[in-house]
Amino acid sequence: MSSPSQPPRSELVAKLTRPVARPLAGTYRWVDERLGISDLTHQLLYEAVPRRGAWTYSLGSATLIIIVLQIVTGIFLLWTYVPSTTEAWESLNFIEHHDEFAAIVRGMHLWGAYVLLLVIGLHMIRTFVSGSYKKPRELNWIVGVLLFLLVLGLGITGAMLPWDQAAYWTATVVTHVVDYIPFLGNWIQEILRGGPQMGPETLTRFFAIHIWLLPALLVPLVGLHLILLRRHGEHGSWVNYEGIDTETEAERAARMAAAEYPYPAVPSDPGYAVPMDIDDFFPSQVFKDAIVSFALVVIIFVMAVVVGAPLERAANPAALNYVPTPEWFFLPLDQLLVQFPQAWMIPVGVFVLPGIGTTLLVLVPFLDRSPEREPWRRPEVMVPALFAVLFLVFEALLAVNRLFNL
Amino acid sequence: MADNAQALAKKRISRRRFMILTINGVGAGTGLLIAAPIVGSVLSPLFAKRKTPWVLVADVGQVAVGVPTAYVVNLPTDEGWTVPAVPRTVYVVKLNLNGSVQMLTLSNVCTHMQCDVHWDTNLKQFLCPCHGGLYSITGTNIGGPPPWPLFRYEHKLVGNTLYVRNVLTGA
Amino acid sequence: MSNFPVVAATSPHLVAVPVSTGVATALVALLMLTHIQFAAFQQGGYIILAVTDFIGWKGKDARKDRFSKGLVTALGATFAFGSALAIFAVLILFLGLWSQFFVQLARIMFWPLVVEGVAFVGEIACLYTVYSQWDKLTRVRPLRVGLELLLFVNASIQMLAINVVAAYMLTPRPSNSLALNLLNPTLIPLEVHRFVGNIAFAGAIIALVGGIRILLAKSREGRAYGDWIGHYGLVYAIGFTIAQPLIGWEYAKEVQLHSYAAWYSMMLGGLSVAFLFQVFLLGAIFTVGIFYLWRRIKASGFRAPTLAVCTALSFASWLLIATPSSLAWSYEDVVAANANVPIWQGGLMIPWGEMIPFKLLALITFTGVAIVAVTVYLKHVSKGHLRWGDAGRGQAAALITVAVAVSLMMALMGYIREHSRAPFLVTDKVLINQQQNFNPPNAAGPAMNGPAGLGIIMPWDPHP
Repeated sequence: MSSPSQPPRSELVAKLTRPVARPLAGTYRWVDERLGISDLTHQLLYEAVPRRGAWTYSLGSATLIIIVLQIVTGIFLLWTYVPSTTEAWESLNFIEHHDEFAAIVRGMHLWGAYVLLLVIGLHMIRTFVSGSYKKPRELNWIVGVLLFLLVLGLGITGAMLPWDQAAYWTATVVTHVVDYIPFLGNWIQEILRGGPQMGPETLTRFFAIHIWLLPALLVPLVGLHLILLRRHGEHGSWVNYEGIDTETEAERAARMAAAEYPYPAVPSDPGYAVPMDIDDFFPSQVFKDAIVSFALVVIIFVMAVVVGAPLERAANPAALNYVPTPEWFFLPLDQLLVQFPQAWMIPVGVFVLPGIGTTLLVLVPFLDRSPEREPWRRPEVMVPALFAVLFLVFEALLAVNRLFNL
Repeated sequence: MADNAQALAKKRISRRRFMILTINGVGAGTGLLIAAPIVGSVLSPLFAKRKTPWVLVADVGQVAVGVPTAYVVNLPTDEGWTVPAVPRTVYVVKLNLNGSVQMLTLSNVCTHMQCDVHWDTNLKQFLCPCHGGLYSITGTNIGGPPPWPLFRYEHKLVGNTLYVRNVLTGA
Repeated sequence: MSNFPVVAATSPHLVAVPVSTGVATALVALLMLTHIQFAAFQQGGYIILAVTDFIGWKGKDARKDRFSKGLVTALGATFAFGSALAIFAVLILFLGLWSQFFVQLARIMFWPLVVEGVAFVGEIACLYTVYSQWDKLTRVRPLRVGLELLLFVNASIQMLAINVVAAYMLTPRPSNSLALNLLNPTLIPLEVHRFVGNIAFAGAIIALVGGIRILLAKSREGRAYGDWIGHYGLVYAIGFTIAQPLIGWEYAKEVQLHSYAAWYSMMLGGLSVAFLFQVFLLGAIFTVGIFYLWRRIKASGFRAPTLAVCTALSFASWLLIATPSSLAWSYEDVVAANANVPIWQGGLMIPWGEMIPFKLLALITFTGVAIVAVTVYLKHVSKGHLRWGDAGRGQAAALITVAVAVSLMMALMGYIREHSRAPFLVTDKVLINQQQNFNPPNAAGPAMNGPAGLGIIMPWDPHP
C-alpha cells in the first residue's frame, strides 16, 4: 500500500537525477545563449510544408541521407584502401577475405551508390511530374541537374578505383572517350590519364577526383539546393493547389496574407505562392522522410551483407578474352557507342546526343513556362519526357541483349 | 597656392579606391601564385619525355603463316614514379604477300574504345567484344564501330628473336 | 516360358490430316493474322484504358470517363472473340492439323505456355470484373485503375511468353539448356518492338473509331466526341510509332547476326518486295498522321507552320523510303561504281548498314520530324486551341487511312516474318513439310526429353 505522502513518480525521478540534470541543463543554456542553437533548430524544424502527397516528397531527403552514407562509408574505406596500381587490388582483396566488417562497409558503399542513382532518378521524375521547377524554383532545378551529373561522375570514378579487371577496362574506355573531342581530345586524355597510357598516375588522379574534387563541388551545391528549397518553401504538387481555379480574388489575397513562413514563394504564378493546406515539417514530414530513408538503408545493408561488392581478378592489360561490361547506369551510353560507329559519327553518338539531352534537361524550366501543374494539362512536356525515359530503357535493354549474349 | 593644392588633390587617387585596387591586385596575384604550379602539374604529363627501350618478346621462328599468335610482352611504360612493366599482348602475324613472307606485330588494343581484341578462330577475324568491332588478319577495320586499323608496334628481328618497343605506328 | 497370355498393344487408328500442307498453311495464316490484330488491340488497349481512366478521374473529365467505359466494352468484346479464335487455333488448327510440330513445340516451350495459360485465366478474372462492375467500381476508382494496370501487366506477360516461343522459332540457340533456349538473341528486340507497336496499334484502332464517328455523326455533340476520340487515338498511334525505326533496325540487326538466311530473304531476296510495301505503309502512317495533326489545328483556326514543314519533310522521306530498287541503285551498283566506301571518303556507304543509305536517312528523318510534330501539336492542345467538333471529312479520312495502314502493316509483318524462315518452321531444326501427321513417339526421343522421361525439362534440371 502506497503512502499518500509519497511523491508521484516523475517528481521522484527529477529529484534523483537533479545532480546530473541541473549542470547539463545549465551547460546547454550557456551554449545556446552564445550559439543560438534552439532558435536555429526551431526555425529548421517548424517550417511549413505542404500536407498532401508528402510521402513522395521524402525522396529528396532520402537522396541526402544516402549521400551522407556514401561519404561516411567512403571515409572508412580510406582506412584500408591504397590508391596505387600495385596495392589497390591487394588492399581490397584483403578486405574481401580477411575483414568481414570492412567488406560489409565496402558493400554498403557500392549498393549505396546504386540505390543513390535510383533514388536521384526517382526524385528527378517526381519533381518533373509535379512541376516543382516552375517559377520561382528554376534555379533549384538547375542546381539539381548539376548534382545529378556530379553523382554520375562520382559513380563512374569510384568504379575505376578497385583496379580489378572491371575497373581497369572501365577506366580505359571512359578516359578514351575524351580522345574523340576534336582538336583537344588527345591532350585531355593525357591529362586525365597522366600520360598516353593507363598507369599509376591515372589511378591517383581519379582517386583525387573521386574523394576530393567532386565531393568539394557536390557538398556546396547540396547546401545551395537546400538553401533554395528553404528560401522558396516546398512546392509540393498539384494536389496541394486544388481549388485555386474557383477561389475569388479576395479569398486568394487573404490566403496570401495569412501565409506562414517560408510562404508565399515570390515571384510565383497566381495562386501557387502558398499551398492550400500545410503541415509542420517536424514531425510530419520528418516522420515520412525517416521511414523512407530507413527502408532504403536497410535495403543497402541487406544487399551489402547478402551480395556484397564483387572484386574481379587483378587488372591484366594483356587480357585476351575479358569482356568489359559497363556499369548499369552507363548501359544506354554504351549502346550509343555501338549505334554510332566509325569516324565522325562517334563524337555525334557520344557527345552530341547526350549533350542535347543534358541541355534539354537543364532548360526544362524555360521550355515549360505555363502555370499548369497537373501532368495531364502539360502533355507537350510529359509525352516527350516519357519517350526520353523509354529511349534510355530501350537502349539499356538492347545493351543487355548484346553484352550478355542473349 | 590653393590652385596647386587643388590640382594635386585631383591627380591623387582616393584612399578607398587605392585600397580596393590593392585588394583586387593581391587577390589576383595570390590566385596566380597558387594556380600556376597546380596547372603546371596537371598538365605536366603532356610534356614529359618518355623512354621506349626495346623489349624481348620471344623466338618467332615457329609461328605459322596465316595464324595470328599472341605473345605477352612486359613493356616499361614510364608513367609516373614506379615505371612498372605493364603486360601487353602483341599479335605476331606472318603473311604471304607478293611471294614473300612478311611479319606484322599488331597491338590488340581496339581502335574504337581501347578494349582487348582477340583473334576469333571461327570467324577468322580479330573481334572486339565491347561493341562488336571486327578486323581482318592484317588488322584492317572491316566491321563495327572501330574507325582505324589495329595499330602496330615498332619491331625488329634479331635472327628469329623478336623485339618490340612501346611506339605505335598508325596511331 | 510364360503361362500368362501376353497382351499385345495394337497401334491406335489415327485419322489422317484431311487437308494438304498448302491449305493447312493458309488456314494458319488466316487465323494468326486475325488473332494478332485482336491480341495487339487487347494489350495496347489495356494501358490506354488505365491511363485514360486515371486522367479522367484526376482531371474530372466526363468525356474521358465516357470513353473509358466504351473502351472497356470494346475490350470485353474483342477478348471474347479473340480468345475463342485462339482456343480454336490451338485445339483444332495446331493439334489437329500441325500435330507433329505443335507437340514438339509444346515439349520445348512447356513453361512459357504454362505461363501463358495462367495469365489467360488472370485476364479473364480481371477483365470481366472490371467490365461487369464498372459502375460499382466508380466509387472505388483507385481499385478500378489498379485492376486495369494489372490487366496491362497480365497482357504484357502473355506477350512475353509468346515472344519467347516466336523468338525461339526464328533464332533458336544451339544449346540444350532450357534457360538459353528461352532467352535467345531476338527475344529482347522482339519484345520491345511488339510492346511499343501494340500501344500504337490500339491507338490507331481508337483513331479509326473516331474517324468513323465523325463521318457518321448526326449531332454536334456526336461529332465533337468522335473528333476527340480520333485525336486521342492518333497521338498514341504516331507517338509510339516514333520509336519503331530504331527498334526495328536493332531487331533486323539481331536477325542478320543469328539467322542470316531469314534476314537476306526479307531485305534483299524473295520477300524484299513485301518489305518494300511494308516501309511504304510506315511512310503512310507517319506522313498522313502528321498531315492530320497539321490540318486539325488549322481546322480550329490556328496556324501551325512547323507542322506544315514536318508534313513536307515526312512526305519527302516517304518518297525516299518507298523507292523500289529498280529506280534506285542497289548494293551491286554501288560496288560496281567503286563507291562502297564511307561517305567521308567520297563513297555512298554509311556505317549503319550496307543498304541504300537514303532509306536509313528517311527513317531517321521520320523519327525526328514526328517527335517535333507531336510536341508542337500537344502544345496547341494544352493551350486549349482545339475545339472539339471542328474536324472535317479530310481529317476523318486521314484517321481512317492511318488505322488501315497500321492494320495492314501488322498483317504484312506477320506474313513476312513467318515466310522469312521458309522452308523452316524452327530455323535449322524443323521443316514446314511433314509437320502435320502425328507419329507416336519413339523410345530415343529428341535431346529435349529431360530426365525422368517426362518429356519436360524442369528449370532445375542439370543441363544435358
